[in-house]
Amino acid sequence: MYAIAIHGGAGAVPRATLSPEREQRYRAGLEAALEGGYAVLERGGSSLDAVTAAVCILEDDPSFNAGRGAALTREGAAELDAAIMDGCRQRAGAVASVRHVKNPVELARRVMEKSRHVLLVGGGAEEFALEEGFALVPNLYFRTPERQSQLEHEQRGERVSDLVPPAHGTVGAVARDRDGNLAAATSTGGMTNKRPGRVGDSPIIGAGTYAKNGVCAVSATGHGEYFIRAVAAHHVCAAVEYRGLSLELAMRELLHDILRGLGGDGGLIGVDRDGRIVMDFSTEGMYRGARDSTGRSEIAIYQSQDSTKITP
Amino acid sequence: MSRRVTRLLTSLVPGVAAALLAAPLPAAEHPIVLVIHGGAGVIERSRMTAEREASYRAGLAAALDAGYAVLERGGAALDAVGAAVRTMEDDPQFNAGRGAVLNHDGLCELDAAIMDGSGPRAGAVAELHHVKNPVELARLVMDKSPHVLLVGPGAEEFALEQGVTLVPESYFITPQRVRELEEEKRAAASRAPTAPLPIRPQAPRGMGTVGAVALDVQGHLAAATSTGGITNKLYGRVGDTPIIGAGTYASESCAVSGTGQGEFYIRQVVAYDICAMMQYQHLSLAKAVETMMHDKLQRSGGEGGVIALDRDGNYAMDFNSAGMHRGVRDSRGHREIAMYRDAN
Repeated sequence: MYAIAIHGGAGAVPRATLSPEREQRYRAGLEAALEGGYAVLERGGSSLDAVTAAVCILEDDPSFNAGRGAALTREGAAELDAAIMDGCRQRAGAVASVRHVKNPVELARRVMEKSRHVLLVGGGAEEFALEEGFALVPNLYFRTPERQSQLEHEQRGERVSDLVPPAHGTVGAVARDRDGNLAAATSTGGMTNKRPGRVGDSPIIGAGTYAKNGVCAVSATGHGEYFIRAVAAHHVCAAVEYRGLSLELAMRELLHDILRGLGGDGGLIGVDRDGRIVMDFSTEGMYRGARDSTGRSEIAIYQSQDSTKITP
Repeated sequence: MSRRVTRLLTSLVPGVAAALLAAPLPAAEHPIVLVIHGGAGVIERSRMTAEREASYRAGLAAALDAGYAVLERGGAALDAVGAAVRTMEDDPQFNAGRGAVLNHDGLCELDAAIMDGSGPRAGAVAELHHVKNPVELARLVMDKSPHVLLVGPGAEEFALEQGVTLVPESYFITPQRVRELEEEKRAAASRAPTAPLPIRPQAPRGMGTVGAVALDVQGHLAAATSTGGITNKLYGRVGDTPIIGAGTYASESCAVSGTGQGEFYIRQVVAYDICAMMQYQHLSLAKAVETMMHDKLQRSGGEGGVIALDRDGNYAMDFNSAGMHRGVRDSRGHREIAMYRDAN
């Protein structure tokens, strides 16, 4: 049994504001990432490679808030965060506040595999990228006209409609491979109009990203500050491991009781030791997709019955 | 003192009662407690001179008493851990604030976090070069911004907006740390690039991260941690200290501050996992801390220590390294400062 789930952010996605063309674009983007990750698993690849592949595709797609098309800081620049965790050896790598790395999730993976550290930030992370042979790109590469106008609207204090994915639109993936190894990865541009230097939950191991073999792998999206305070991803793993809750119950409790109680919202995707995928959110919608070797295959955005079966 | 006893005393012997009540006694259910650490590592008698040892003990005592004084006058746990950590940041012996260890480029890069168990609220900063007391900026992030973690120049921009005076990098750099960096660079030449950086030798040279946990008269818990990281670290490396759940965590039932090889603490989500084991597996504080330090962390190859405190005032100061600079003071009259394995 192998399985992968992805998300492209959670938030208020009123169906009415999403034009059919846009919706089609997001679904196509999600599908490409899901298939990219699933193909790795199908040919016997590792869950680590699968989540890396899926997140890279979402980073390259300007529709999503990660890599190209990331939300912009109040100064109009893209500042990117990402993390990856290998449930097998419980290794992890993360980067924060990078401005010139095309695929932050690949740099996070490199931190995990080639450095003695877990988290590198800012200029130091980019120095490491150069040492590792990454080609840096100008910050302009990440900025899209859509995100620029989103920032301008936000700075004028206007409520913006038809701006999807929402400001909380982190991307992520979780997977279980044939060998039962679990992995999780998350990547984001953070919040629109954020203060330079602000880091959310995505690169925080235990908050936005966590994986532990025999328990579960989790990737989060939402109001990062709440996910950090709640140590969200590890909380879900602890609830499964220590209390024997199902992944579904553990995620529901976190999202709908604990985070709600604190005033935060968002979504989670997870896969448990047996390859069971759970995708849950407390917002109006979450861009998401799931596929496994038993035939489950879906892409969805809203709360209810809108998932579309993919015919590969 | 229970309310009934208070009433009884007031009615029977007004003079005595007034004198007793004037003293800031805690509620009867729990003591007030402050626990601090000043880093873990190879801290052994054989490596310590009498003067050095006395100097460390004095530094720990100053921090312990500064924090405890806050609790004693009825202040908040949050203020107490802030005061204790600030005292150690200002003391060049400890690896935080002034006298922090130097990174590969010979500069200080400071990280800190603070967490208020009732809320929960948290603030953290990383990669600071010019903020005298990083724990105070972490507190401002918690109190005055919608964020939890700010890093690098963005964090210093926020500091300026909050009226914090920045200091030059030279303020933090001490000759001792410059020598340590040179030695470490020579030693590093023979190590694999992925090998974890040693937190030894801590004494008489470098000393680890500093931190504090407190329980106040209201029954609230708080934790704070501050560090310069590891000597010769890569520019941009952030350890567990500012990571909520890894090096610093506080809830309504448990507060933890860690010191050690940060990468292991991040992967294991050490501080939060101790609280989760207590809450979900119903382990005692001591047992949860022991399981973490001597089973989970040890098995993963990580080295260091933690201090932890629960809402009943039970505390633990445990480590799997040779020693840990530590201290505890509570309203049960207990006051202790130690650094070696054998409770001294």
